[in-house]
Amino acid sequence: MALSGMRGLSVFISEIRNCQNKEQERLRVDKELGNIRNRFKNEKGLAPYEKKKYVWKMLYIFMLGYDVDFGHMEAVSLISAPKYPEKQVGYLVTSCLLNENHDFLRLAINTVRNDIIGRNETFQCLALTLVGNIGGREFAESLAPDVQKLLISSSCRPLVKKKAALCLLRLFRKNPDVVNVDGWSNRMAQLLDERNLGVLTSSMSLFVSLVSNNHEAYWSCLPKCVKVLERLARNQDVPQEYTYYGIPSPWLQVKTMRALQYFPTIEDPNTRRALFEVLQRVLMGTDVVKNVNKNNASHAVLFEALALVMHLDAEKEMMSQCVALLGKFIAVREPNIRYLGLENMTRMLMVTDVQEIIKRHQAQIITSLKDPDISIRRRALDLLYAMCDVSNAKDIVEELLQYLGTAEFTMREELALKAAILAEKFAPDLSWYMDVILQLIDKAGDFVSDDIWFRVVQFVTNNEDLQPYAALKAREYLDKPAIHETMMKVSAYLLGEYSHLLARRPGCSPKEIFGIIHEKLPTVSTPTVSILLSSYAKILMHSQPPDPELQNQIWAIFNKYETSIDAEIQQRAVEYFALSKKGAALIDILAEMPKFPERESSLIKRAGDTEADTAELSAIKSRAQQQASNALVVTDQQPANHPPQVTQLAMVKIPSINEENNHVDQEVTQTNGSMGEGEPQNGDILGDLLSPLAIEGPPGVSGTETLSEDGALALAPVGEQENAVKPIVDIAEIFHALCIKDSGVLYEDPYVQIGIKAEWRGHQGRLVLFLGNKTTSSLDSVQAVFLSPSHLKLELSSVPEVIPPRAQVQCPLEVVNLCPSRDVAVLDFSYKFGTNLVDNKLRLPAVLNKFFQPITLSAEEFFPQWRSLAAPPLKLQEVVRGVRPMSLGEMANLLNSLKLIVSPGLDPNANNLVASTTFYSESTRSMLCLVRIETDPADRTQLRMTVASGDPTLTFELKEFIKEQLISIPSASRPAVHQQPQPTTQPISLSDPGALLAGLL
Amino acid sequence: MIRAMIVINNQGKPRLSKFYNYTPVEQQQQLIRSIYSVLCLQPENVSNFIEGGSIWVRQKTYFSDSRLVYKLFATLYFVFVFDSSENELAMFDLIQVYVETLEKCFSNVCELDIVLNYSKIHTILDEMILGGQVVETNSEKVMQAVEEISKLEKVTAATKLISKSTSVLWG
Repeated sequence: MALSGMRGLSVFISEIRNCQNKEQERLRVDKELGNIRNRFKNEKGLAPYEKKKYVWKMLYIFMLGYDVDFGHMEAVSLISAPKYPEKQVGYLVTSCLLNENHDFLRLAINTVRNDIIGRNETFQCLALTLVGNIGGREFAESLAPDVQKLLISSSCRPLVKKKAALCLLRLFRKNPDVVNVDGWSNRMAQLLDERNLGVLTSSMSLFVSLVSNNHEAYWSCLPKCVKVLERLARNQDVPQEYTYYGIPSPWLQVKTMRALQYFPTIEDPNTRRALFEVLQRVLMGTDVVKNVNKNNASHAVLFEALALVMHLDAEKEMMSQCVALLGKFIAVREPNIRYLGLENMTRMLMVTDVQEIIKRHQAQIITSLKDPDISIRRRALDLLYAMCDVSNAKDIVEELLQYLGTAEFTMREELALKAAILAEKFAPDLSWYMDVILQLIDKAGDFVSDDIWFRVVQFVTNNEDLQPYAALKAREYLDKPAIHETMMKVSAYLLGEYSHLLARRPGCSPKEIFGIIHEKLPTVSTPTVSILLSSYAKILMHSQPPDPELQNQIWAIFNKYETSIDAEIQQRAVEYFALSKKGAALIDILAEMPKFPERESSLIKRAGDTEADTAELSAIKSRAQQQASNALVVTDQQPANHPPQVTQLAMVKIPSINEENNHVDQEVTQTNGSMGEGEPQNGDILGDLLSPLAIEGPPGVSGTETLSEDGALALAPVGEQENAVKPIVDIAEIFHALCIKDSGVLYEDPYVQIGIKAEWRGHQGRLVLFLGNKTTSSLDSVQAVFLSPSHLKLELSSVPEVIPPRAQVQCPLEVVNLCPSRDVAVLDFSYKFGTNLVDNKLRLPAVLNKFFQPITLSAEEFFPQWRSLAAPPLKLQEVVRGVRPMSLGEMANLLNSLKLIVSPGLDPNANNLVASTTFYSESTRSMLCLVRIETDPADRTQLRMTVASGDPTLTFELKEFIKEQLISIPSASRPAVHQQPQPTTQPISLSDPGALLAGLL
Repeated sequence: MIRAMIVINNQGKPRLSKFYNYTPVEQQQQLIRSIYSVLCLQPENVSNFIEGGSIWVRQKTYFSDSRLVYKLFATLYFVFVFDSSENELAMFDLIQVYVETLEKCFSNVCELDIVLNYSKIHTILDEMILGGQVVETNSEKVMQAVEEISKLEKVTAATKLISKSTSVLWG
């Protein structure tokens, strides 16, 4: 019972199991690792059994997620042990712990080779398993010929042979240039004659790999595969143990059919007929039975058969039979079968002309779009997209639009894109196309990428018939109380160009159009303001005869923006003002946009790019964007050396809340990578015209989800310390994150969201607080007061007492660092909602490291400084205990994230870190700071830290600051999973696993 | 190929993990955590397949070209990660075979058996999957091989080298 008879291992595992928490577990593991390390140090006294036990423990610790960075040598050395148990564990653990390029593997090659060519089959198996699992280049170079020999040797037993086949497969896959398979077709043919089904399964896997690389060489093997299938399908000569729930080795059947799909076609009529007979038998003979396992196995074979039929381009009759089967599958109760049914239908559409037959199942497919299983919904969306044509486009797009309201965030962007493409591709008339896209923007503006609305503009520009309709629609949407920023852009653009076509309608005079657009100006972001200015210029140009009142109004606006901080707006304002003075000449310059050259839709192109798996790609994008733009914070369009100086209280519009559900629109997906490099796309044309056009990231706003709380917190007494309104974010965690980042959400509760964005230069900082009212009523008695520590001078511009409904107010804040200190400024933020006074004290992330400027020093620069700062109080040293254990790499990352730049290689001892930075404050001016951290690899919880700078206070404060960072758990050094999910602004909706995940973590 | 085989309990603790492409330990842990967080949110009565794209590590999908198939037995999730060259339902069956083999090995297998016989479940896995490919699908054969190994270990406790005759039994 040696396998399970290691008492020490069992005891250790039980102890780990009994640990109450992660910390205890870590302590226990650290203790064990220390123990193992000691034992390995005095290796002489170590019996092989003990060594084996320790190596098993190492593997267990490794699985628990602890880095085991020693003992590899011991694991590898066990491979050479003469006794089986040690050898076995040596092989097994080595294959888990070491990667293919590990130096120690080289040491083992000889032993491994001796085992492979030796006579001991047990050892052969172990060696082949190791090589197959690792598959490194050096293994391939020195062992592949031996493995090949073994595989074709007649004296080799099945057990060894099947492992040799898979071992060769792995070596070939990873190093096709090293493993020579010339002339292997004959050998492969022999291997496929094998009667033993175990060996045949492995050989077939090897065959698949060889054929996928070069099918030409293996035509001669094709009939053999068909023979194998015939044998299995007829259940001839299949030993009982190779039937799985009564089905002759489903794995082998599947593999064989897979292999056949790598041949472009089957020409030999006899082989083809034989194969189709088998396939027909599978298609017809598969019944749904009660036993789930049997069902799965038979359907595994069936789906593979379907794939093969599609690949072989069978006769129409067989194809419709397949569609009929799939139609049955997508309606069954078993979700796995539904999922695969939908997927295979989509695949079928791509290879053959079965659209008409598949359309019969449209209703069922649309039902699948409402399936509780997201995997199935994704497949249904793919299928609907693939099967859409002129005849059913209206229905399908209608469904997609409806689904958009309830879909997961992760699917919305993809949905929006697909709906837009289908609408464009199959629009029965242009006004319908217009309707769809505007609805799309209205319902899911955050998920509508720029390309989509650029495309609308192109369409309207190129189709004169559409222009009045488009203008009218745009006018209608502007009547809505809250519209999405993207909608604002489209509407303003369209009305600027074409509103004169509406002039005779009521409410559509230039003056009225201007009025309704201008009403929204205070709520839009900077790039949209540029578009609005263009619209004004166009409206002015179109108002003939000139209306002096309108002219004055618009001129006044141009005048106002001539001093805008934003270069783009300023330029437009100045130019439009000058142009509009030119009178009639204005018409030549501002005439209607010419038609766009016809080009392939960038949308369709984009969809093509992402065809492989749109869901994933778009998901990747949306996550990346979420990370890049931090909720509330307006992305900075300007070059870094041109900081935005917000001189007035600008109100930034908050996106419309989707009324249909309580989900809240996610933040805006940013320019969706459409403006990539390479050939110009359609998007570029407009992009140039309207640049800079990156959509900004206004905040996601939580909707009515918390309204139910209102009653509960109605009468919280004023001044009560404990607020009835609870923040919906972890303020402490956010603060930690913001100590490292420069923008993000500082605070959020059901009513208010506070974002922050900072720019630091030397000892000064320029921050902007974004106070966002998430509710539909205004917030009163808003107060923001700083309790500032003595070392910071803070100047906050006046905060308005009232924040209007769904508005966002920006409050600039100037920070000056007077002297070094770890103290933190506190923002006392209070407001009144209804009768509730909400009061919060928030730490301001204007911490010590914000006044650092990274600097990297060479050894020549570093050491003279280091030596010149010789003794306390300029240089302080301390042994720090209770450090959160982290690897050296993690610690270096932590320091770097604090702008203490680690210079690798400066310290000859690899366990030490040396870092440097420049600190700025009014009293110290710029001051070089040097840090050295010496870690103890045996005990990660303690280290010695030396800090030096030219200012005693600074040295002390910096030392304490770093200590705090090392002992606490700053968020930057946490595993990324913690940070990965959505930004905190997003309310957790139950239907979105991603969001729930975020909540859990 | 099969990219990984993972057994996680319903608390998110890994019980067995094997990656067939080298994956650093930190990344393995992140993947396991990410997989678990998706698994534990799976509602009942949905398909056993998960798109690899929903497994996130550091803002990236790690398995975007792969799929996961899982099956929950009592307190344990058995998960295979595999690429497009494998048949989905066949992978699903493979979980069944693995569990049936464990069942034969421990009779009424429970989580504790798996925890305490860590080395044995590794051996069983190695007899079934090699380098990401299925090597044996017949649980009888797997059991035979594993029992041989146990015997061998006992025998070698006494004798020094394995004779050819012992390995004949393997066939």
